[in-house]
Amino acid sequence: MTSRTRLPAVFLAPPLLILAVLAFVPTAYAIYISFRNRELSRPDGSFVGLANYIDLFSDRRFVNAIGVSLTWELVTVTLTLLVAIVLGILMFEFASARQRAVLTLIFLVPVILPRVSAAFVWKFAFHPLYGIVTYPYKAITGQPLDLLSNPATALMTVALVDVWQWGLFFGVIVLKLLETLPPQPFEAARLDHARPWQIYLYVALPMLKAPLISLTFIKMIESLRAFDLIYVMTRGGPGIVTETLDMYAFSQGFIESGRISYASSMAVLMMVATTVIFTVIWKRVKP
Amino acid sequence: MSLSRFLGKSVLYLAAFSAVFPMVWTAINAFKNRVDIVTPTPLFIFTPTLDNFAYVLGRDSVAAGLVNSVIAAGGSVLIGALLGLPAAYAIARYPNRWSADIQFFVLSLRFLPPVAVAIPLMVIWLDLGFYDTRISLIVTYTLLTLATVIWLGVPAFARVPKEVEEAARVDGYGPYAVFFLIALPIASRSLIGAVAFAFVLVWNEFLIALMLTTSDAKTLPIVASELTQLGRDVPWGILNASVVLLSIPPLLLIGILSGLLNNAFRRKSN
Repeated sequence: MTSRTRLPAVFLAPPLLILAVLAFVPTAYAIYISFRNRELSRPDGSFVGLANYIDLFSDRRFVNAIGVSLTWELVTVTLTLLVAIVLGILMFEFASARQRAVLTLIFLVPVILPRVSAAFVWKFAFHPLYGIVTYPYKAITGQPLDLLSNPATALMTVALVDVWQWGLFFGVIVLKLLETLPPQPFEAARLDHARPWQIYLYVALPMLKAPLISLTFIKMIESLRAFDLIYVMTRGGPGIVTETLDMYAFSQGFIESGRISYASSMAVLMMVATTVIFTVIWKRVKP
Repeated sequence: MSLSRFLGKSVLYLAAFSAVFPMVWTAINAFKNRVDIVTPTPLFIFTPTLDNFAYVLGRDSVAAGLVNSVIAAGGSVLIGALLGLPAAYAIARYPNRWSADIQFFVLSLRFLPPVAVAIPLMVIWLDLGFYDTRISLIVTYTLLTLATVIWLGVPAFARVPKEVEEAARVDGYGPYAVFFLIALPIASRSLIGAVAFAFVLVWNEFLIALMLTTSDAKTLPIVASELTQLGRDVPWGILNASVVLLSIPPLLLIGILSGLLNNAFRRKSN
């Protein structure tokens, strides 16, 4: 295949140049404005050094947002993987080939929906007066159930929508992964009178360790995109209970004060944290 | 049928129901008058109306949002495909010492939190005078589509049998002819899936559009989300109708996308 040709350079140079410009210019610019005190209302600003970063660490809302974001990551990643593994195994064990094909299509629906749609659909389903999910509670107790305005349940309710979107989709992937496994270890385990759950727990899942770790990694990255759901469903409320880092950066930069530089310093910290963490994980996971 | 079989199937049916019902219910509500939605008990039998869809489709903001969405998603997907497919082919077929690094760079773009890209880009587009334009949206979205097409295109091209390409070369095809006439048609099914995925990604995109537009270039998700934030007398029927409208294009592509998924795993198992 290695006859001398300039094809690789011709095919690779323009797109890589564009990607590099589109990725590095905003990154550099974010760092630049994070050292200034630019605001939306004023076109310029002056150099303030690390002042924005120092302010961040005494900002209780920022510290709160870190906590919310970490909780969000932990809850959505864990539940998504759990749901996916259970559904994948159930399909593999109980569904015929045709049923699998139908379920695959059905389980793709939530993840394909625009997140704005998914957020609205569930927000309305959880509506305390007219929601279809809250209706049984209301009918039995006579009390309206307002999950999204209750600080104790708001974040988990939004997380449920995220798990609904990704858990079902990943269930399909787990099924496809199980289908790629050779049948012999299963038969051997069955001959040894292993129970079905033992076969999955001790034979199948360990064989899928590498792809499952990759799935976890992908979900960790996708869980960073919590903004759409939270923006439509709670706007960070009640109070600041569901205010993740991106939601807080957005409201600092746009809704409340237009402090672009301050929001930028948050963005830079997020960028550094995610890039470092994910690069380390990727290099570890990838053989 | 054993108990575990019954339970397992029940869980599957329940999950399938949960996947579809919320959207079905939304679609049902989109055909209701407001009085039929705002009831103490959810109504399944009612006189359907087309008023909500007529209202949504008749609104200038929705029409403008639809046009903006089509142009922004269409333009960025077109650029992403034109530049991304050749790049993916080059990575798949002409590996060199930077191939792994290039692939990691393309993947690592996904690590960037959207808000961290959107804030500086907003300032840049403001300074350049392109804030709230379709051009700025297309260029920004190209970052997403290009990376996605490359990322999904590499395995699609790698699955094209090498022998076919070598046979073409023996027949006197040049490297470019091999790409355009052999590799591209053979891999086309997976590649269409990759491009469709890129389209769904930018069609659904919300945060960047929210930050980069205020009025002229607002895309459909932004318009829909503004409708959902309306005040006290919420026009629920209209809301449901606009959500249905927004969700139709991605749902139409579901067959192509599941094909992409099946292809990716079928070849691997052989």
